[in-house]
Amino acid sequence: MIPSPVLDIFAALMLLVAAVSAARLAAARPWRSGARRAALADIDLAHLLMAPAMAGMLVASLQTLPNGAWEAVFAVMTAWFAYRVLRDAQVSGVRALAGGHCAPHLIHAGAMLYMFLALSAPAAHGSGGMSGMSGMGTLELPFLAFGFALALVGYSIWDLDQLSGPGTSGHYSLTVARPAPAGPVLAGVGASAGPGATAVLTEPASPPVVTETIETAPEVPPASAPADGTGVLAPWVATGCRIAMGITMAFMLVIMI
Amino acid sequence: MSEIAAAGLRPAWRGRLGAEADRAAPDARRLLQLALAGIWLLDGVLQYQAFMFSKGFTEMISGTASGNPRAVASPITWNASLVQHHLVLVNAISATIQVLLGIGIAWRPAVRVALAASIAWALGVWWFGEGLGMVLTSAASPVNGAPGAVILYALLAVLLWPADRPGRPAPFTAARAVGAPVARALWLVLWLSLAWFALLPGNRAPQALSAMIANMESGEPGWLAALDRGAASLLARQGLAASVVLAIALVIVAVGVYLPARYARGTMILAIVIAAAIWVVGEAFGTILTGGGTDPNSGPLLVLLALTYWPARAVVTRPAPAAAAITEGTAAS
Repeated sequence: MIPSPVLDIFAALMLLVAAVSAARLAAARPWRSGARRAALADIDLAHLLMAPAMAGMLVASLQTLPNGAWEAVFAVMTAWFAYRVLRDAQVSGVRALAGGHCAPHLIHAGAMLYMFLALSAPAAHGSGGMSGMSGMGTLELPFLAFGFALALVGYSIWDLDQLSGPGTSGHYSLTVARPAPAGPVLAGVGASAGPGATAVLTEPASPPVVTETIETAPEVPPASAPADGTGVLAPWVATGCRIAMGITMAFMLVIMI
Repeated sequence: MSEIAAAGLRPAWRGRLGAEADRAAPDARRLLQLALAGIWLLDGVLQYQAFMFSKGFTEMISGTASGNPRAVASPITWNASLVQHHLVLVNAISATIQVLLGIGIAWRPAVRVALAASIAWALGVWWFGEGLGMVLTSAASPVNGAPGAVILYALLAVLLWPADRPGRPAPFTAARAVGAPVARALWLVLWLSLAWFALLPGNRAPQALSAMIANMESGEPGWLAALDRGAASLLARQGLAASVVLAIALVIVAVGVYLPARYARGTMILAIVIAAAIWVVGEAFGTILTGGGTDPNSGPLLVLLALTYWPARAVVTRPAPAAAAITEGTAAS
């Protein structure tokens, strides 16, 4: 048996992630900001759903919804992120299937669905169902659990590197403004991002700023758009949540093997 | 990752932002460090398994004392006793340390501290937890994880240390921090020792290899157990021949690092194939799928090690001066 304090610590971490994700959604107010923010709200919403579900799997007293409901939630979420990944692949190429913005979320959602389905299987019931977290040998297809754990560890490590490196890519930020080398720069990308967009090269008169669009949202405002990228909406906050969830999920998968 | 929406913009975007974008792109050594970080993180997560909080884990540690010289065995027995009396605390701390080592190596500002700590931790575990990988006993075999997976973590931390020696460009990543002669010597010693272990009397006995593989079957998923059964059946009464073939292959790998680049690449591929075969058949993925594996065992680390010795097509350049010449490299320098 895994000591309950260990499980409690991971569950507390997940509740913290849920609280942060809720705060991000509240601060971003995607329901009032049009399609642009709504396009990214799915990630915080996914975190907000996954984190309590994981906490409930770790500590029985934190269970909220029945297993069947969670299975439905994560089936829909997996399908949604699969669609997003495929759409990214159409725009950005095959590399988006593994290295795209939504690929880690697809793995997260798929792993959650797998865990709930595996724990609902007859083999798991004999070990205590959802409270079987503290036991072992409860999962069907343990190699799949190992594969998911490897992928989650890989994405977490990659996120940590990218988060701490120079030229951080800034996950989840809608626009990232940063200094660019002197010389001609790409302008107008943010305003015209999307299939068929055109680039305009201009000579900068003042310290140049490059505006990158991070998502394939239908409309993207200029870099002066307020609020994004600061406080609880800072890109590193969401990436930090993803890292915490990835490690915790890998932990859960491994202890369930 | 940032993604420019319009595919048509890519060439222009790369042309203008290439330098900026490349700053976040890790080089080969950084990628290998990240792989090492991932294995440490996986190691830490595995250490949280229920089995590690049970008496079985203590017995596993104390079992590594048998066959070792008294000077080596006594600290192992002491450690096993300590773990037995404070099992939950010691194991939870151990698991957390390993998770933090993985996170530290992946977090760029902490990479040096984490790599240094990983060396100290790995050496400690190698002695107190793995009985020096049983290399001083007759039980060491490359097929069951000798010379101990954890010592390979320490070796990789040394070879992937984020520093560059002045002078000639490094012919492969492992040579960047310690220099090519030292790196080659370490490789030679490691793989020759594996060849030596393969030829130990206990390993070349007619049924030795077959029995070793058959023993891995217990608790594994059906397909892996069937694979082990098949391999064990294939090697039944072929212990001597199999050991000799394995030893020859390991010697070829050992000297491969001294060969010109095109041949060295071939021996690195051979090393990767051997390591993969050992990991799947001999180590059963570190018995992770049984819920009792403390680490992925030596297979993935040997693969990672081979990749650090992969001859560079263009010689690895020093960070400064920026305009260092790039020349077609060979493994021999």
